Order: sequence, then structure tokens, then C-alpha cells
Amino acid sequence: MDWANASLNKLEATREQRLRSKPPEIGGEDAQKLLHQYHPDYLGKQRTVRLGPNAGSGEIPHELADLLESDSQLPVGFEPSVDIETDVLILGGGGAGASAALTLEGTGLSVHLATKLRLGDSNTVMAEGGIQASVGINDSPRRHFSDAYVGGHGDNDPDLLRVLCENSEATIRWLGQLGCILDSNEDGTFQLRPGGGTSLPRVLACKDYTGLEIMRVLKDAVFLSSTQTLQNHAGIELLDDGGGQVTGAVLWNRDKGNLVSVSARAVIIATGGSGQLRFQDFPTSNHLGAVGDGLVLAYRQGCKLINSDSHQYHPSGTAYPEALAGQLITESIRSIGAQVVNAEGGRFVHEMTVRDILAAAIIREVFEKRGVQTPTHRSGIWLDTPLVDLQNGEGFLRQKFPGIIHRFKRYNIDPAKQPILIYPTLHYQNGGIKIDKDGRTEAKGLWAVGEVTGGIHGTNRLMGNSLLDITVFGRRAAMSIQKSLPKRRPITLTQLNRFREELKNISPRQSVFSPQLFPALTGMKVVFAEKKFT
Amino acid sequence: METIKIKVAGESIQARVGETVVHSLWNAGKADLIKTGCVGGACGVCTITVRSPEGKMIGTDLACMCPVEDGMEVFPCPVDSVLTVAPESNPTEEKLRKAYPKLDKCTKCGSCTSACPMSIPVMDSVLRMRSGQLDKVADDFTTCIHCGLCRFVCEDGVQPHMMGMWVRRSIGASMEKDIEKKLDQGLRQAELEWKYLLEGSPADRMNHARQFRKSGKIEL
Repeated sequence: MDWANASLNKLEATREQRLRSKPPEIGGEDAQKLLHQYHPDYLGKQRTVRLGPNAGSGEIPHELADLLESDSQLPVGFEPSVDIETDVLILGGGGAGASAALTLEGTGLSVHLATKLRLGDSNTVMAEGGIQASVGINDSPRRHFSDAYVGGHGDNDPDLLRVLCENSEATIRWLGQLGCILDSNEDGTFQLRPGGGTSLPRVLACKDYTGLEIMRVLKDAVFLSSTQTLQNHAGIELLDDGGGQVTGAVLWNRDKGNLVSVSARAVIIATGGSGQLRFQDFPTSNHLGAVGDGLVLAYRQGCKLINSDSHQYHPSGTAYPEALAGQLITESIRSIGAQVVNAEGGRFVHEMTVRDILAAAIIREVFEKRGVQTPTHRSGIWLDTPLVDLQNGEGFLRQKFPGIIHRFKRYNIDPAKQPILIYPTLHYQNGGIKIDKDGRTEAKGLWAVGEVTGGIHGTNRLMGNSLLDITVFGRRAAMSIQKSLPKRRPITLTQLNRFREELKNISPRQSVFSPQLFPALTGMKVVFAEKKFT
Repeated sequence: METIKIKVAGESIQARVGETVVHSLWNAGKADLIKTGCVGGACGVCTITVRSPEGKMIGTDLACMCPVEDGMEVFPCPVDSVLTVAPESNPTEEKLRKAYPKLDKCTKCGSCTSACPMSIPVMDSVLRMRSGQLDKVADDFTTCIHCGLCRFVCEDGVQPHMMGMWVRRSIGASMEKDIEKKLDQGLRQAELEWKYLLEGSPADRMNHARQFRKSGKIEL
């Protein structure tokens, strides 16, 4: 990083003094002003949708609005006829879908889980920092609720948030029974880390590979279960009975190119987020498939989206080296002492404030020319990682954060000795499909869980509440389905045909289809095997 | 931006200096040449083999984590998944051997260790499995992304990543966890607190939540 020497010298010169300094707090009206001026959600890059349940109300990013107003991938004239009959169809192979599948095991219901990639290729597997659970002394589900409610700017659905917080302990036990190993102390209690916006340490972790640990255990358990896993099968449309009940889905088998119609008594959408839509050309920490498929599918069935104007730009995405651009540096590295420092060597924000404020503060520094330019024309500010070992002892970073050490090693950067350049990265979809406490959507027969839903996190999610969300609500949806499984009904494309009629009124963009399935910049195409459609 | 040439599956690709193999394929419109998942080095699907410009085999890697180098040649190296075996409580090396009988086939060639994109000491850990040092094995495999390259390169059919998974799940499920009993004041107090947090206008709720964060108690 010789190109950055001038700035690095300044950073090192202020390190001693910074160690003893107090970070500037940004609160109240200042915080609101900062968000409105610099946070990407507030910059007017949004618009209202012209059709469907959100028509005319509220704004969402252009990129997502365009997809909601696009025609289906399904060829006109396609008539569904049952290829697979199952009780429960789960769309999505991340942590939420897997949790639902495992909870349905042993209920006697047949379960199919379809994922357009492989089981586990998801945002879950990349989650680093941890999972919140109120298992510590002086903690409670109410305190957890209070932190998440304040962090979410009070835009949370209080009933959903209460469910999230009340089920954390049970979820941790469940993960333990499945064989997840989370970091513990000598006395057998869990190690708890602070997260941005938590009023006391509440984040459980498996080093900086928490999502990997949880996902690989869930995946292994699903492969050992009776769930039929349909990998490389993308959900491209939901089916309904013509009377408002969702009754299955059409899948595109990517290996063979053919379309597969599934009849199901219940469908769970667990397709995750939309970071790969790369709003405003932001880099993203998200996996290949995160392009908002589930939002599009549910929207055509009349399901309202809530808080869909809100996305999380994680403050610490990698800005250098180029090959790692957008990839996550976990928040917990800040919670144990890494400071956020501008090009002049100065602190400008409390490192453990909530994510949207920290992200906006970083963007402001760069905008006001206190950032650092990389040789590949990105900008960022420093994450002073050497402070971790200075405060916790040599070798601490390597021991607790092997992932970060591993990723930077091939670029000859040792974060224990050298700071990392960071810039906010598009990380999480705060809003999504409206659900109730059991994960039910507004359409009969359709449940939704995980990042694809909205309401739980308000307009800013706290660290560690997403891994909790997917496991708590994945399990709840499964339990709810057991109790109230609808009767099997015919599969038709009534809702899609209705949507296509509506589309004619708004002159949609030609030759753009949704769900998009893959990021636009990959150039990956959706191609169906030769078949005659009338 | 400076560009260089690489070859992927025999096809010539123009790549930008500094990007990964996966991103160079995206830019060239050839994303389908290598299966891709998380693009963050965690899902393990984009396994490849890499040759130097001189044709020398450099080794295995993940396409999403591998920066391009002028003249390099890349071949997709997809690894099929294999059947997994259910974990058991209180695992021992005998139980592991029963689950994965090929454990003892290892000839200590070290290919698995060289192939691992996560720098796990795979072969050493296989030897530790044989001698029953399972806690250390669980630790070794903490960062395993289950790409399967260790199994793929093993000529003797050993499945280190599957055994690592089995050991970790078996140990994890056998652990007695003390979830600290909080100084929770019982159900009645909990209900009072919920009432305090949930009732009233959104502004009331926000104020109550702000107050409650300070001590975890209602303080009027």
C-alpha cells in the first residue's frame, strides 16, 4: 500500500493520542441531518411504483421499482400441469429456507426445497459477526427489543420484533442441538460481544465465520433429512387457484433448461435480499443470487412490501484491494477496538453507533475530501485494525478473526499490523414482504421468512439480528404451516394473467423480465429449453 | 484501466488488472464458464485449477478469490457433493471410523493440505482424527467452506471435509451449554415491561425503548 503512505503516516502519528481519545458522538438532529444529506436511502434515487399493492404509495429504489414493473420470465402461453406434488414448497436455500425445512422434519408432511444455486449458496454463509441472543446477565428480550427498536428508528413492527427477541434463547439451544459450535468461555458460558447499537454485549459468534458455521450445519442436516432438495432450480413464478390462494410455483431447472410446475399446499418464500441490484452503483457484500426474486413473485400475488425504501449500507466494506471490493469486514472488529479514521488521521464518529449513521458519516468524510483514493479509483477511510492487538494483546486479531487475516494475506496485507481501507457496501434489505407473527403473507397459502420480509428491523437492522431472524422466523413459519395447512387446490396462472393485463396500462420496459435471477453485470441469461408455447 | 489476457477453460479472456477470475468472466460475458455462488470465498462452489503462463501447475483455488495474472490459465474444477453421515453424541475415533471407514486409507501424501483454499492443515488433522484428538480436529475445521477439494485430490478416497463436519457437529451437539440464568424478575415483571414498551403512540414507544436501554429496567 505504498500509494497511501502519506495518509498512513498521519494515521500512525495520531494513534497514541487516539487510543486515549473519546469518539465524537453524532445524535439527535445532527444524526437526522447527516442521514438526509449523505445516506443513499435519502438521496432521491427512488420512485413510486405504478401498479400492484404499493401503487402510488411510498418510494423504492429505481432498480427495484423497474423489476416490479417488468413482465414475467414465463413464456406467454405456458400452461402449468403438475410435475411435482408436495405439501410444502420452500423457495430459497439459505438459512431461512433450511431452518423451515428442518422444522418440518418428522411432521409427516412432504417438503421440497428449491434453490437456483446450491443449498447454502446464500448471504447466510457469508455472515461474519454473529447472532444476537439475550442470554447474558442483566439482559432480557425486552432490552434486546429496546435496542433494536431504537436502532430501527421505531419503524419496526413491534409485534414482529417482540417475537424475534422472545425466541432468541430457544433458537440458540436449537442450533446447539444441531451441532453448531459458538465461541464460549472457560466456564461453558457463551462469549458475548457488543454490536453497534446494543446497550450491552449480546452477540454470540463463531470467530468471524458465524454464518458459515450455522449454514454448513443447517445444510448438512437438511441433506440428512427427508426434504427433497432441488438445486439449480429457480422459482420464476407463483401459481394460484384463481381465488387468491397460492398453490405452487413454476421452477426453471437450470441444468436441463426445462420448466417444472409444482403443486403445493403451502409455499414459503425464503429467497433473501437484493444487494446484487447494486443501487446507485454501490458495491455489495451479497451473494450472486441476491436480486430480489421473492419480492417480485409475492408482489404479483398481491402482497404489499413495507419499508422497501430502506436498505442497509454496511459501514465497513472493503475498498482495497480491488479484488475484495465490497466484501465485508465484520462490525465486531470495531467492537473490540478498531477505530474509524479519516485521511488526516482523525476520528469523526463513534465506531459503535448504528450502521446507517456510521455509513453516512464515512460517505461525508469522502465527500468532503477527507477520504483516501485507491489506485483503482475507489475512495475510502481507514479502519485502524492494528489497534485491536495493541489493546487486547498480540495475536488476538489472528485468533478471533481468522477470516480477515486469511483474505488479506494473499495481498501481503496483515490487518494486525496495517489498517484496512473501507467504504460502505450494499449489505441488507431492511424492508420487504409484509408478514404476520407466523410469517404469513397477505396471500393465503403463502409464507415468507428472512431477508425477503419487512417490518422486523424497521429502517435499520442491528448487527446479529439477521441470523436470528432467519432461524426464528424460518422455524415459526414451519410450525404455523403444520397447524394450518390449506387444502390442495388447482394450479393456475390467474394472478400472473391479471398482472399482465395491468402491465399493459403502464407501458413497461420492453425485453426486461423479472424475477431477474442473476445480477445484470454478470450477463447471465435465462434460457428455456425448446418447447412450443401457444 | 490496464488489461491483461488470461485463459479460462481454453477461452481467451481480456481481464482488468486487480480483479478476480469471476469478475473477469462477468465483464467478458462468460459467467457460465465457472459456477459461482457467494462471490465471497465462503460457499466453495467456484473451485478451479490454475496454471502459470509457462504451463506449470500452480494448484487449486476459488475463482471468486483468485486475482487474475497475465497469461494464467484457469480450468473449472467442479466438485460433486458426497453423501453425509449423521453425527453422533460423544464422538470417538472408533465412531468416526465407523462413519467414514476410509479414514485409515490416508497415505500422508499431503495433497489435501496443498489443495485447501482456506489453509487448513488438512492432512495433519486427518492424522489427529486417527489418534482421537477430536477437539483439535473441530478447531482445525472451523474455517472449512466444504468446497470438497481435499476429497477431490485424494487418491485414496478419504473425505477430510466430511469427517471434519461430522466431528464438529458431533462435538457441538454433545456440549452441555449453560445459558446464563439472567436476573430476570419472572414472568409477571416481564409482562409489565412488555406493556411499557408496546403501549402508547409511536413516540411513547420510542421514549420508553430509549429509557429501557439504559438499565434494562423500567425507571419512571
